[in-house]
Amino acid sequence: MCGIAGRILGSLGTVGADLVAMMEAMVHRGGDSTGFALYGPRREDGYVVRVVGDDRDRLSDDLEAFLDVLRDCGADFLEDPTWDDTDQRHVSVRMVVTPPTVALADWVARADAITGFEIQSIGRSLEIVKDVGTAEEVAAKHGVEAFVGSHGIANARMATESRVSPTASHPFWARPFPDVAIVHNGQLTNYFLLKERLMRKGYRFLTENDSELIAVWISDQMAKGHDLESALEQSLRALDGVFTYLIATADRLGMAKDRWAIKPLAAVEDGPDLAIATEEQAVRKVYPGEVTVRTFDGPDQTSTWAVKQAEVV
Amino acid sequence: MAEVAYVEVGDRPIREVNAAIRAAVAEGRDVVVTNTLSRHNLGIGLPHGARVRFEGSVGYYCGGLNNGAQLEITRDAGWGLGEAMAAGEILVEGYVGMSAGASMRGGLIHIRGDAGPRCGVAMKGGDIIVEGRIGYLSGFMAHAGRIIALGGAGDACADSLWGGEVWVAGPIASLGVDTRVVEPDPSEVEAVEKLLASRGLEDSGRDWRKIVSAQKLWYFDSRDSRAWLMI
Repeated sequence: MCGIAGRILGSLGTVGADLVAMMEAMVHRGGDSTGFALYGPRREDGYVVRVVGDDRDRLSDDLEAFLDVLRDCGADFLEDPTWDDTDQRHVSVRMVVTPPTVALADWVARADAITGFEIQSIGRSLEIVKDVGTAEEVAAKHGVEAFVGSHGIANARMATESRVSPTASHPFWARPFPDVAIVHNGQLTNYFLLKERLMRKGYRFLTENDSELIAVWISDQMAKGHDLESALEQSLRALDGVFTYLIATADRLGMAKDRWAIKPLAAVEDGPDLAIATEEQAVRKVYPGEVTVRTFDGPDQTSTWAVKQAEVV
Repeated sequence: MAEVAYVEVGDRPIREVNAAIRAAVAEGRDVVVTNTLSRHNLGIGLPHGARVRFEGSVGYYCGGLNNGAQLEITRDAGWGLGEAMAAGEILVEGYVGMSAGASMRGGLIHIRGDAGPRCGVAMKGGDIIVEGRIGYLSGFMAHAGRIIALGGAGDACADSLWGGEVWVAGPIASLGVDTRVVEPDPSEVEAVEKLLASRGLEDSGRDWRKIVSAQKLWYFDSRDSRAWLMI
Protein backbone atom coordinates (compact mmCIF):
# COMPACT_ATOMS: atom_id res chain seq x y z
CA MET A 1 0.00 0.00 0.00
CA CYS A 2 2.91 2.41 0.66
CA GLY A 3 2.96 5.67 2.57
CA ILE A 4 4.19 8.96 1.17
CA ALA A 5 4.93 12.30 2.76
CA GLY A 6 6.18 15.76 1.90
CA ARG A 7 7.37 18.76 3.85
CA ILE A 8 8.09 22.38 2.99
CA LEU A 9 9.67 24.80 5.42
CA GLY A 10 9.50 28.54 4.87
CA SER A 11 13.14 28.82 5.90
CA LEU A 12 15.89 26.20 6.09
CA GLY A 13 15.15 23.80 8.92
CA THR A 14 14.73 20.28 10.18
CA VAL A 15 13.15 18.86 7.06
CA GLY A 16 14.95 15.52 7.55
CA ALA A 17 13.74 15.07 11.12
CA ASP A 18 10.18 16.07 10.19
CA LEU A 19 10.01 13.58 7.32
CA VAL A 20 11.46 10.82 9.49
CA ALA A 21 8.79 11.50 12.15
CA MET A 22 6.05 11.32 9.52
CA MET A 23 7.45 8.16 7.96
CA GLU A 24 7.86 6.42 11.34
CA ALA A 25 4.15 7.07 11.91
CA MET A 26 3.35 5.20 8.67
CA VAL A 27 5.66 2.22 9.07
CA HIS A 28 2.59 -0.06 8.98
CA ARG A 29 2.07 1.03 5.34
CA GLY A 30 5.35 -0.49 4.20
CA GLY A 31 8.62 -1.53 5.74
CA ASP A 32 10.37 -3.10 2.76
CA SER A 33 12.32 0.02 2.07
CA THR A 34 12.21 3.71 2.92
CA GLY A 35 13.55 6.69 1.08
CA PHE A 36 13.88 10.44 1.32
CA ALA A 37 14.37 13.11 -1.34
CA LEU A 38 15.87 15.98 0.61
CA TYR A 39 16.47 19.49 -0.69
CA GLY A 40 19.30 21.32 1.02
CA PRO A 41 20.62 24.82 0.34
CA ARG A 42 21.08 25.33 -3.39
CA ARG A 43 24.69 24.98 -4.54
CA GLU A 44 25.78 27.35 -7.28
CA ASP A 45 29.22 25.74 -7.45
CA GLY A 46 28.13 22.27 -8.45
CA TYR A 47 25.89 19.25 -7.98
CA VAL A 48 25.32 16.78 -5.22
CA VAL A 49 25.37 13.25 -6.62
CA ARG A 50 23.97 10.29 -4.73
CA VAL A 51 25.04 6.84 -5.88
CA VAL A 52 24.40 3.28 -4.71
CA GLY A 53 27.10 0.74 -5.48
CA ASP A 54 26.33 -2.98 -5.52
CA ASP A 55 29.64 -4.09 -4.10
CA ARG A 56 31.53 -2.33 -1.33
CA ASP A 57 34.70 -4.28 -2.17
CA ARG A 58 34.70 -2.71 -5.61
CA LEU A 59 34.15 0.85 -4.36
CA SER A 60 37.60 2.28 -5.08
CA ASP A 61 37.53 0.92 -8.67
CA ASP A 62 34.04 2.30 -9.20
CA LEU A 63 34.97 5.71 -7.82
CA GLU A 64 37.98 5.81 -10.09
CA ALA A 65 35.86 4.93 -13.13
CA PHE A 66 33.32 7.58 -12.09
CA LEU A 67 36.04 10.21 -11.72
CA ASP A 68 37.38 9.31 -15.18
CA VAL A 69 33.93 10.02 -16.65
CA LEU A 70 33.66 13.25 -14.69
CA ARG A 71 37.02 14.50 -15.93
CA ASP A 72 36.19 13.52 -19.52
CA CYS A 73 33.10 15.69 -19.13
CA GLY A 74 35.08 18.64 -17.79
CA ALA A 75 34.09 18.15 -14.16
CA ASP A 76 35.76 17.00 -10.97
CA PHE A 77 35.06 16.22 -7.35
CA LEU A 78 34.45 19.40 -5.40
CA GLU A 79 34.65 17.53 -2.11
CA ASP A 80 35.99 14.08 -1.26
CA PRO A 81 33.26 11.47 -1.70
CA THR A 82 31.78 10.02 1.48
CA TRP A 83 29.88 6.76 2.06
CA ASP A 84 28.05 4.86 4.75
CA ASP A 85 30.22 3.06 7.24
CA THR A 86 28.51 -0.33 7.48
CA ASP A 87 29.45 -3.90 6.58
CA GLN A 88 26.54 -4.27 4.17
CA ARG A 89 27.54 -5.23 0.67
CA HIS A 90 25.80 -2.31 -1.01
CA VAL A 91 27.26 1.11 -0.39
CA SER A 92 25.63 4.56 -0.52
CA VAL A 93 27.99 7.23 -1.78
CA ARG A 94 27.61 11.01 -1.64
CA MET A 95 29.66 13.21 -3.94
CA VAL A 96 29.78 16.90 -4.69
CA VAL A 97 31.01 17.61 -8.20
CA THR A 98 31.69 20.68 -10.31
CA PRO A 99 29.32 21.26 -13.22
CA PRO A 100 30.33 19.35 -16.36
CA THR A 101 31.09 21.26 -19.53
CA VAL A 102 28.88 18.84 -21.50
CA ALA A 103 25.11 18.56 -21.22
CA LEU A 104 24.03 16.95 -17.96
CA ALA A 105 22.22 14.19 -19.86
CA ASP A 106 25.41 13.25 -21.74
CA TRP A 107 27.42 13.10 -18.56
CA VAL A 108 24.76 10.93 -16.88
CA ALA A 109 24.64 8.64 -19.92
CA ARG A 110 28.37 8.08 -19.70
CA ALA A 111 28.30 7.52 -15.95
CA ASP A 112 25.45 5.04 -16.41
CA ALA A 113 27.81 2.85 -18.43
CA ILE A 114 29.51 1.96 -15.15
CA THR A 115 27.40 -1.02 -14.08
CA GLY A 116 26.59 -1.69 -10.46
CA PHE A 117 27.41 1.88 -9.43
CA GLU A 118 24.14 3.62 -10.07
CA ILE A 119 23.32 7.31 -9.78
CA GLN A 120 20.25 7.80 -7.57
CA SER A 121 20.02 11.57 -7.83
CA ILE A 122 21.72 14.67 -9.14
CA GLY A 123 20.80 18.14 -8.07
CA ARG A 124 21.89 21.59 -7.03
CA SER A 125 19.92 20.94 -3.86
CA LEU A 126 18.39 17.45 -4.17
CA GLU A 127 19.79 14.40 -2.41
CA ILE A 128 17.97 11.08 -2.56
CA VAL A 129 18.70 8.78 0.35
CA LYS A 130 16.99 5.42 0.12
CA ASP A 131 17.61 1.94 1.36
CA VAL A 132 15.97 -1.30 2.40
CA GLY A 133 14.42 -1.23 5.88
CA THR A 134 12.00 0.81 7.95
CA ALA A 135 12.05 4.59 8.35
CA GLU A 136 13.82 4.24 11.68
CA GLU A 137 16.50 1.93 10.25
CA VAL A 138 17.13 3.94 7.10
CA ALA A 139 17.13 7.26 8.97
CA ALA A 140 19.61 5.96 11.55
CA LYS A 141 21.92 4.47 8.94
CA HIS A 142 22.03 7.58 6.77
CA GLY A 143 21.69 10.32 9.37
CA VAL A 144 18.53 11.65 7.75
CA GLU A 145 17.26 13.39 10.88
CA ALA A 146 20.24 15.75 10.87
CA PHE A 147 19.49 16.97 7.34
CA VAL A 148 18.74 20.69 7.17
CA GLY A 149 16.91 21.92 4.11
CA SER A 150 13.94 23.67 2.57
CA HIS A 151 11.73 20.75 1.52
CA GLY A 152 11.56 17.07 0.79
CA ILE A 153 9.43 14.04 0.06
CA ALA A 154 9.55 10.50 1.41
CA ASN A 155 8.15 7.03 0.89
CA ALA A 156 7.67 3.84 2.88
CA ARG A 157 7.36 1.05 0.38
CA MET A 158 5.31 -2.11 0.32
CA ALA A 159 6.63 -3.61 -2.90
CA THR A 160 4.02 -4.85 -5.36
CA GLU A 161 5.45 -4.28 -8.83
CA SER A 162 9.18 -4.90 -8.69
CA ARG A 163 12.03 -6.14 -6.56
CA VAL A 164 13.05 -4.91 -3.15
CA SER A 165 16.46 -3.25 -3.29
CA PRO A 166 17.94 0.16 -2.50
CA THR A 167 17.68 1.27 -6.13
CA ALA A 168 14.10 -0.03 -6.51
CA SER A 169 13.00 2.04 -3.50
CA HIS A 170 11.34 5.42 -3.73
CA PRO A 171 11.86 8.33 -4.19
CA PHE A 172 12.79 8.15 -7.85
CA TRP A 173 14.89 10.71 -9.56
CA ALA A 174 13.68 12.00 -12.95
CA ARG A 175 16.80 10.87 -14.80
CA PRO A 176 18.53 13.04 -16.10
CA PHE A 177 16.65 16.14 -14.89
CA PRO A 178 18.43 17.66 -11.89
CA ASP A 179 16.44 18.29 -8.71
CA VAL A 180 13.27 16.43 -9.71
CA ALA A 181 12.05 13.54 -7.54
CA ILE A 182 8.84 11.61 -7.02
CA VAL A 183 7.14 9.35 -4.51
CA HIS A 184 4.10 7.32 -5.49
CA ASN A 185 1.43 5.33 -3.69
CA GLY A 186 -0.34 2.99 -6.09
CA GLN A 187 0.23 0.92 -9.20
CA LEU A 188 0.33 1.99 -12.83
CA THR A 189 -0.96 -0.38 -15.48
CA ASN A 190 0.27 1.38 -18.61
CA TYR A 191 3.75 2.35 -17.47
CA PHE A 192 5.37 -0.13 -19.82
CA LEU A 193 3.84 1.56 -22.84
CA LEU A 194 4.75 5.09 -21.75
CA LYS A 195 8.21 3.98 -20.71
CA GLU A 196 8.78 2.41 -24.13
CA ARG A 197 7.84 5.72 -25.79
CA LEU A 198 10.16 7.69 -23.53
CA MET A 199 13.00 5.23 -24.10
CA ARG A 200 12.61 5.70 -27.85
CA LYS A 201 13.11 9.39 -27.20
CA GLY A 202 16.40 8.58 -25.50
CA TYR A 203 15.44 8.47 -21.83
CA ARG A 204 16.90 5.72 -19.68
CA PHE A 205 15.41 4.06 -16.63
CA LEU A 206 17.35 2.53 -13.80
CA THR A 207 14.64 0.15 -12.59
CA GLU A 208 11.59 -1.84 -13.64
CA ASN A 209 9.53 0.15 -11.15
CA ASP A 210 6.32 1.74 -12.47
CA SER A 211 6.81 4.85 -10.34
CA GLU A 212 10.11 5.82 -11.97
CA LEU A 213 8.08 6.44 -15.14
CA ILE A 214 6.05 9.22 -13.52
CA ALA A 215 9.12 11.29 -12.64
CA VAL A 216 10.52 11.13 -16.15
CA TRP A 217 7.12 11.52 -17.84
CA ILE A 218 6.33 14.71 -15.90
CA SER A 219 9.83 16.09 -16.54
CA ASP A 220 9.50 15.34 -20.26
CA GLN A 221 6.22 17.27 -20.34
CA MET A 222 7.93 20.18 -18.60
CA ALA A 223 10.87 19.97 -21.03
CA LYS A 224 8.28 20.34 -23.80
CA GLY A 225 7.18 23.63 -22.26
CA HIS A 226 4.38 22.68 -19.90
CA ASP A 227 4.43 24.09 -16.42
CA LEU A 228 4.21 21.75 -13.45
CA GLU A 229 0.48 22.37 -12.97
CA SER A 230 -0.36 21.48 -16.54
CA ALA A 231 1.92 18.41 -16.53
CA LEU A 232 0.23 17.16 -13.35
CA GLU A 233 -3.20 17.76 -14.86
CA GLN A 234 -2.31 15.84 -18.01
CA SER A 235 -0.96 12.93 -15.99
CA LEU A 236 -4.48 12.29 -14.67
CA ARG A 237 -5.46 10.92 -18.07
CA ALA A 238 -2.11 9.76 -19.44
CA LEU A 239 -1.36 7.50 -16.48
CA ASP A 240 -3.62 4.50 -16.06
CA GLY A 241 -3.95 2.79 -12.73
CA VAL A 242 -4.35 3.92 -9.17
CA PHE A 243 -2.08 6.62 -7.90
CA THR A 244 -1.54 9.42 -5.52
CA TYR A 245 1.90 10.84 -6.01
CA LEU A 246 4.02 13.75 -4.84
CA ILE A 247 6.60 15.37 -7.08
CA ALA A 248 9.27 17.78 -5.93
CA THR A 249 11.44 20.18 -7.91
CA ALA A 250 14.00 22.73 -6.76
CA ASP A 251 11.25 25.21 -5.91
CA ARG A 252 7.87 23.43 -6.09
CA LEU A 253 6.02 20.51 -4.63
CA GLY A 254 3.01 19.03 -6.38
CA MET A 255 0.46 16.25 -5.96
CA ALA A 256 -1.85 14.36 -8.31
CA LYS A 257 -4.56 11.84 -7.55
CA ASP A 258 -6.24 9.54 -10.05
CA ARG A 259 -9.88 9.32 -11.12
CA TRP A 260 -10.63 6.35 -8.85
CA ALA A 261 -9.80 8.11 -5.57
CA ILE A 262 -8.32 5.11 -3.82
CA LYS A 263 -5.11 6.40 -2.26
CA PRO A 264 -5.42 8.90 0.59
CA LEU A 265 -3.58 12.17 1.20
CA ALA A 266 -3.95 14.88 3.85
CA ALA A 267 -2.14 18.17 4.36
CA VAL A 268 -1.65 21.02 6.76
CA GLU A 269 -0.93 24.29 4.98
CA ASP A 270 0.62 26.68 7.46
CA GLY A 271 1.67 29.90 5.74
CA PRO A 272 4.83 29.06 3.78
CA ASP A 273 5.06 25.66 5.50
CA LEU A 274 3.43 22.45 4.35
CA ALA A 275 3.16 18.98 5.83
CA ILE A 276 1.48 16.42 3.63
CA ALA A 277 1.17 12.66 4.02
CA THR A 278 -0.88 9.62 3.13
CA GLU A 279 -2.32 9.57 6.64
CA GLU A 280 -3.47 12.56 8.68
CA GLN A 281 -2.02 11.01 11.84
CA ALA A 282 1.43 11.25 10.23
CA VAL A 283 0.96 14.94 9.43
CA ARG A 284 0.03 15.48 13.05
CA LYS A 285 3.45 14.22 14.12
CA VAL A 286 4.63 17.69 13.09
CA TYR A 287 1.34 19.47 13.88
CA PRO A 288 0.18 17.92 17.17
CA GLY A 289 -2.25 20.74 17.97
CA GLU A 290 -5.77 21.07 16.60
CA VAL A 291 -5.22 22.31 13.04
CA THR A 292 -7.20 22.61 9.85
CA VAL A 293 -6.41 19.58 7.73
CA ARG A 294 -6.99 19.65 3.99
CA THR A 295 -7.86 16.20 2.73
CA PHE A 296 -7.55 15.04 -0.86
CA ASP A 297 -10.21 12.34 -0.74
CA GLY A 298 -11.98 13.07 -4.02
CA PRO A 299 -10.97 11.93 -7.52
CA ASP A 300 -9.04 13.79 -10.21
CA GLN A 301 -7.09 16.31 -8.18
CA THR A 302 -3.84 18.16 -8.57
CA SER A 303 -2.26 20.85 -6.46
CA THR A 304 1.09 22.59 -6.17
CA TRP A 305 2.92 24.53 -3.50
CA ALA A 306 5.82 26.95 -3.84
CA VAL A 307 9.04 26.56 -1.88
CA LYS A 308 10.49 29.80 -0.70
CA GLN A 309 13.88 29.71 -2.38
CA ALA A 310 16.54 28.60 0.04
CA GLU A 311 19.51 30.92 0.34
CA VAL A 312 22.81 30.04 -1.29
CA VAL A 313 25.62 28.67 0.86
CA MET B 1 -24.27 9.18 38.18
CA ALA B 2 -20.69 8.00 37.87
CA GLU B 3 -17.96 10.49 37.17
CA VAL B 4 -16.83 11.07 33.59
CA ALA B 5 -13.70 9.08 32.70
CA TYR B 6 -10.99 10.83 30.68
CA VAL B 7 -8.82 8.71 28.40
CA GLU B 8 -5.78 10.28 26.75
CA VAL B 9 -4.61 8.96 23.37
CA GLY B 10 -1.34 10.74 22.49
CA ASP B 11 1.35 8.22 21.52
CA ARG B 12 -0.12 5.35 23.53
CA PRO B 13 -0.74 2.00 21.82
CA ILE B 14 -4.32 1.99 20.49
CA ARG B 15 -5.01 -1.41 22.08
CA GLU B 16 -4.27 0.11 25.48
CA VAL B 17 -6.46 3.16 24.76
CA ASN B 18 -9.38 1.00 23.64
CA ALA B 19 -8.98 -1.23 26.70
CA ALA B 20 -9.15 1.88 28.92
CA ILE B 21 -12.32 3.05 27.14
CA ARG B 22 -13.94 -0.36 27.56
CA ALA B 23 -12.98 -0.54 31.23
CA ALA B 24 -14.57 2.85 31.90
CA VAL B 25 -17.68 1.87 29.95
CA ALA B 26 -17.94 -1.36 31.98
CA GLU B 27 -18.00 0.79 35.13
CA GLY B 28 -20.98 2.62 33.67
CA ARG B 29 -19.08 5.85 33.16
CA ASP B 30 -19.33 8.29 30.28
CA VAL B 31 -15.98 8.58 28.53
CA VAL B 32 -14.20 11.59 27.06
CA VAL B 33 -11.23 10.72 24.87
CA THR B 34 -8.63 13.48 24.56
CA ASN B 35 -5.56 14.29 22.44
CA THR B 36 -6.81 11.99 19.68
CA LEU B 37 -4.22 13.16 17.09
CA SER B 38 -6.16 11.57 14.19
CA ARG B 39 -5.10 8.11 15.42
CA HIS B 40 -6.71 5.06 13.84
CA ASN B 41 -9.07 2.38 15.23
CA LEU B 42 -10.35 4.33 18.22
CA GLY B 43 -13.47 3.04 20.00
CA ILE B 44 -13.89 -0.23 18.09
CA GLY B 45 -16.66 -2.71 18.99
CA LEU B 46 -18.18 -0.72 21.84
CA PRO B 47 -21.29 -2.19 23.47
CA HIS B 48 -24.84 -0.93 23.89
CA GLY B 49 -25.03 1.72 26.57
CA ALA B 50 -21.53 3.11 26.06
CA ARG B 51 -21.29 6.89 25.67
CA VAL B 52 -17.98 8.16 24.36
CA ARG B 53 -16.94 11.60 23.13
CA PHE B 54 -13.74 11.99 21.12
CA GLU B 55 -12.40 15.52 21.54
CA GLY B 56 -10.53 16.27 18.33
CA SER B 57 -10.11 14.56 14.98
CA VAL B 58 -9.89 10.80 14.70
CA GLY B 59 -8.24 8.61 12.05
CA TYR B 60 -9.44 5.52 10.21
CA TYR B 61 -12.21 3.13 11.34
CA CYS B 62 -13.33 5.05 14.41
CA GLY B 63 -16.43 3.43 15.92
CA GLY B 64 -16.10 0.38 13.69
CA LEU B 65 -18.17 -2.68 14.71
CA ASN B 66 -20.21 -0.43 16.98
CA ASN B 67 -22.72 -2.61 18.81
CA GLY B 68 -25.02 0.04 20.23
CA ALA B 69 -22.76 2.75 21.67
CA GLN B 70 -23.38 6.47 21.28
CA LEU B 71 -20.24 8.13 19.97
CA GLU B 72 -19.45 11.74 19.26
CA ILE B 73 -16.46 13.18 17.43
CA THR B 74 -15.95 16.90 17.92
CA ARG B 75 -13.88 17.51 14.76
CA ASP B 76 -13.18 15.38 11.65
CA ALA B 77 -13.04 11.65 11.12
CA GLY B 78 -10.89 9.66 8.69
CA TRP B 79 -11.71 6.76 6.39
CA GLY B 80 -14.06 3.91 7.30
CA LEU B 81 -15.95 5.64 10.11
CA GLY B 82 -18.32 3.15 11.78
CA GLU B 83 -17.36 0.37 9.41
CA ALA B 84 -19.60 -2.69 9.81
CA MET B 85 -21.45 -1.18 12.77
CA ALA B 86 -24.54 -3.10 13.88
CA ALA B 87 -26.28 -0.56 16.10
CA GLY B 88 -25.86 2.70 17.97
CA GLU B 89 -25.11 6.25 16.90
CA ILE B 90 -22.08 8.13 15.69
CA LEU B 91 -22.22 11.93 15.47
CA VAL B 92 -19.39 13.79 13.74
CA GLU B 93 -19.25 17.58 13.96
CA GLY B 94 -16.92 18.02 10.99
CA TYR B 95 -15.89 16.29 7.78
CA VAL B 96 -15.68 12.53 7.34
CA GLY B 97 -13.26 10.89 4.88
CA MET B 98 -13.82 8.04 2.48
CA SER B 99 -16.18 5.08 3.06
CA ALA B 100 -18.15 6.38 6.04
CA GLY B 101 -20.44 3.60 7.26
CA ALA B 102 -18.90 1.01 4.96
CA SER B 103 -20.80 -2.28 5.26
CA MET B 104 -22.80 -1.01 8.22
CA ARG B 105 -25.81 -3.17 9.18
CA GLY B 106 -27.71 -0.91 11.52
CA GLY B 107 -27.69 2.21 13.65
CA LEU B 108 -27.21 5.82 12.65
CA ILE B 109 -24.27 7.89 11.48
CA HIS B 110 -24.86 11.64 11.55
CA ILE B 111 -22.25 13.84 9.85
CA ARG B 112 -22.60 17.60 10.22
CA GLY B 113 -20.03 18.42 7.53
CA ASP B 114 -19.39 16.81 4.17
CA ALA B 115 -18.65 13.15 3.57
CA GLY B 116 -15.85 11.92 1.29
CA PRO B 117 -16.11 9.41 -1.56
CA ARG B 118 -17.92 6.06 -1.23
CA CYS B 119 -20.07 7.15 1.71
CA GLY B 120 -22.18 4.13 2.68
CA VAL B 121 -20.30 1.76 0.38
CA ALA B 122 -21.77 -1.75 0.63
CA MET B 123 -24.03 -0.79 3.51
CA LYS B 124 -26.54 -3.44 4.57
CA GLY B 125 -28.80 -1.40 6.82
CA GLY B 126 -29.16 1.60 9.09
CA ASP B 127 -29.07 5.28 8.19
CA ILE B 128 -26.42 7.80 7.29
CA ILE B 129 -27.37 11.47 7.51
CA VAL B 130 -24.95 13.95 5.96
CA GLU B 131 -25.80 17.62 6.46
CA GLY B 132 -23.28 18.57 3.78
CA ARG B 133 -22.47 16.89 0.50
CA ILE B 134 -21.72 13.23 -0.11
CA GLY B 135 -18.66 12.52 -2.28
CA TYR B 136 -17.90 10.60 -5.45
CA LEU B 137 -19.42 7.09 -5.73
CA SER B 138 -21.47 7.41 -2.56
CA GLY B 139 -23.75 4.45 -1.93
CA PHE B 140 -21.60 2.27 -4.18
CA MET B 141 -22.97 -1.30 -4.12
CA ALA B 142 -25.11 -0.66 -1.06
CA HIS B 143 -27.61 -3.45 -0.36
CA ALA B 144 -29.97 -1.88 2.15
CA GLY B 145 -30.39 1.12 4.40
CA ARG B 146 -30.69 4.84 3.69
CA ILE B 147 -28.16 7.51 2.89
CA ILE B 148 -29.65 10.98 3.35
CA ALA B 149 -27.64 13.92 2.01
CA LEU B 150 -28.89 17.45 2.60
CA GLY B 151 -26.16 19.27 0.69
CA GLY B 152 -26.07 17.45 -2.63
CA ALA B 153 -23.95 14.65 -4.06
CA GLY B 154 -20.76 14.23 -6.09
CA ASP B 155 -20.23 12.26 -9.28
CA ALA B 156 -21.50 8.73 -9.85
CA CYS B 157 -24.03 9.03 -7.05
CA ALA B 158 -25.42 5.64 -5.95
CA ASP B 159 -23.32 3.80 -8.52
CA SER B 160 -24.20 0.11 -8.79
CA LEU B 161 -26.71 0.38 -6.00
CA TRP B 162 -27.99 -3.11 -5.26
CA GLY B 163 -30.71 -2.16 -2.82
CA GLY B 164 -31.37 0.53 -0.27
CA GLU B 165 -32.01 4.19 -0.92
CA VAL B 166 -30.04 7.35 -1.45
CA TRP B 167 -31.98 10.52 -0.64
CA VAL B 168 -30.50 13.76 -1.88
CA ALA B 169 -31.63 17.34 -1.33
CA GLY B 170 -29.46 19.68 -3.36
CA PRO B 171 -27.57 19.27 -6.61
CA ILE B 172 -26.29 15.89 -7.80
CA ALA B 173 -23.12 16.14 -9.94
CA SER B 174 -24.00 12.93 -11.80
CA LEU B 175 -25.80 9.66 -11.23
CA GLY B 176 -23.96 6.34 -11.19
CA VAL B 177 -24.58 3.20 -13.20
CA ASP B 178 -27.87 1.31 -12.78
CA THR B 179 -29.69 3.98 -10.81
CA ARG B 180 -33.25 5.22 -10.99
CA VAL B 181 -34.63 8.43 -9.53
CA VAL B 182 -38.13 7.78 -8.21
CA GLU B 183 -40.87 9.91 -6.73
CA PRO B 184 -40.98 9.04 -3.03
CA ASP B 185 -44.30 8.21 -1.39
CA PRO B 186 -45.52 10.86 1.06
CA SER B 187 -45.21 8.28 3.84
CA GLU B 188 -41.56 7.74 2.95
CA VAL B 189 -40.87 11.48 2.93
CA GLU B 190 -42.60 11.71 6.27
CA ALA B 191 -40.38 8.96 7.68
CA VAL B 192 -37.20 10.68 6.44
CA GLU B 193 -38.31 14.09 7.70
CA LYS B 194 -39.23 12.55 11.04
CA LEU B 195 -35.76 11.05 11.36
CA LEU B 196 -34.21 14.40 10.44
CA ALA B 197 -36.45 16.24 12.90
CA SER B 198 -35.27 13.87 15.63
CA ARG B 199 -31.78 15.17 14.89
CA GLY B 200 -32.88 18.80 15.00
CA LEU B 201 -32.97 19.14 11.23
CA GLU B 202 -36.57 20.12 10.54
CA ASP B 203 -37.20 21.66 7.11
CA SER B 204 -40.38 20.98 5.17
CA GLY B 205 -39.12 22.75 2.04
CA ARG B 206 -36.60 20.20 0.85
CA ASP B 207 -36.69 19.09 -2.75
CA TRP B 208 -35.94 15.38 -2.43
CA ARG B 209 -34.66 13.04 -5.02
CA LYS B 210 -34.83 9.42 -4.00
CA ILE B 211 -32.44 7.15 -5.87
CA VAL B 212 -32.90 3.39 -6.00
CA SER B 213 -31.40 0.54 -7.98
CA ALA B 214 -32.61 0.18 -11.57
CA GLN B 215 -31.92 -3.53 -10.99
CA LYS B 216 -30.37 -4.13 -14.40
CA LEU B 217 -27.18 -5.34 -12.80
CA TRP B 218 -29.05 -7.88 -10.70
CA TYR B 219 -28.82 -10.34 -13.57
CA PHE B 220 -26.26 -10.37 -16.33
CA ASP B 221 -27.69 -9.55 -19.73
CA SER B 222 -25.37 -9.14 -22.68
CA ARG B 223 -27.47 -6.17 -23.82
CA ASP B 224 -26.38 -4.40 -20.63
CA SER B 225 -22.70 -5.09 -21.18
CA ARG B 226 -21.93 -1.39 -21.48
CA ALA B 227 -23.29 -0.76 -18.03
CA TRP B 228 -21.21 -3.62 -16.66
CA LEU B 229 -18.10 -2.28 -18.32
CA MET B 230 -18.60 1.06 -16.59
CA ILE B 231 -18.26 -0.50 -13.15
